[in-house]
Amino acid sequence: MGSSSKEETATDGDTSSGDTPPSNSNLFSEGERVLAYHGPRIYEAKVQKAELRKKEWKYFVHYLGWNKNWDEWVGADRLMKLTEENVMKQQALDKKQGVDKSSKSGRSSQSKPKSSADAKADKEDLKNTAPKGRKRKSDSGVEKDNSSMEKLVKIQIPSTLKKQLVDDWDFVTQQDKLVKLPRSPNVDDILTKYLEYRSKKDGIMTNSVGEILKGIRCYFDKALPVMLLYKKERQQYNEVVHDDVSPSTIYGAEHLLRLFVKFPELLAYVNIEEETLIRLQQKLMDFLKFLQKNQSTLFLSAYDGPKGVSEGKGKGKDDD
Amino acid sequence: MEGGREKEEEQDGVSVHSPCKAPPSSASSLPKEQQEVELELRLLEALEIYPPVKLRGVHRHFVLYGLMEFLRKSLDRHFSPDEVLQLLDRFYNLEMLKPDDEEIDILNHEEDFCLPQSYFVKEEP
Repeated sequence: MGSSSKEETATDGDTSSGDTPPSNSNLFSEGERVLAYHGPRIYEAKVQKAELRKKEWKYFVHYLGWNKNWDEWVGADRLMKLTEENVMKQQALDKKQGVDKSSKSGRSSQSKPKSSADAKADKEDLKNTAPKGRKRKSDSGVEKDNSSMEKLVKIQIPSTLKKQLVDDWDFVTQQDKLVKLPRSPNVDDILTKYLEYRSKKDGIMTNSVGEILKGIRCYFDKALPVMLLYKKERQQYNEVVHDDVSPSTIYGAEHLLRLFVKFPELLAYVNIEEETLIRLQQKLMDFLKFLQKNQSTLFLSAYDGPKGVSEGKGKGKDDD
Repeated sequence: MEGGREKEEEQDGVSVHSPCKAPPSSASSLPKEQQEVELELRLLEALEIYPPVKLRGVHRHFVLYGLMEFLRKSLDRHFSPDEVLQLLDRFYNLEMLKPDDEEIDILNHEEDFCLPQSYFVKEEP
């Protein structure tokens, strides 16, 4: 009874068991809101359960606003008290990641481009960078469990492909032009070419790549009419794609590239192990590099003008 | 006449000329069973992360990829997509699973494509 334990912990006793050395003290209590490390960033979380396992305290945390698929057991080393100082740490990491975090830190924090594209950008509703499914804390005080948007895999699109996307935007939304359909090569062709290219390089074991490519095609076919078309392209879509025709046989690199802008969000709706996500990300990057390498053969440099105007640039007017 | 017979005798393994090797017997089938059990256990473990019902929806290829990776890491060998599906077939009739496409998913919500602002900002060196 006469316990000689003189705890040297700086933290005052949350501990009920005065006997135990510091490492066994329960630092976080059930129901407590904390900050938790996950990957390179820090997220607000809630301790659901606290258990002593093998002389160490473990906490089952739920990340606020995330699908509960992400709930997990973590050690005290991953958690921090919800203090202002720690919140600043969180913000520092956010900045470092450079993620478009309009939903957390307020949308106005996003700096607008200074080009003339700016005013025109508004027309295309560019200020609404957050897709509608994204969690917005300002909208409701209740945790939204149906979206784990925050934890997005990063897909770094090569800069020449980014430029391609801007040109694409310009053609369609600013110049009223359209991609001439059907495309050759189409998405199917491109994916097949890539598989051939990879098979030659790797020899065997293209199983993973094969499955991922099937996944890309699957996403593309579903996503094209749902989220990959500019408003001005919808009519063309309705004209060209009907019945059982799959978009991957009609559209090409231009629209496929748009899929990669949305890819992180699509993957957010699937629970995938972190290590596996990283591998997947690498494979997707390799595919993008392939697109970049073959940019001139896969992408159009000019789109079709509105009906009645001759295609392409530099030819001037048709003779009337 | 009997020249060609020699080989056959050797192959029988009971010829006095051939070393007396015990044929693969029940001794090695036990580890095999254990392997199978281990395999199945790992698969069931994987399903906690990758529920079978997800193999019916639009994300199915990435779910399958996840399963392939999980098994590869746990059992230290490669698995083809078909192998994984065959394994699953021991436990589930995948065709009977109802795809949960009605579930909240970004792909169920139509919206116009918009290119994020960051693409328009000149990248700082």
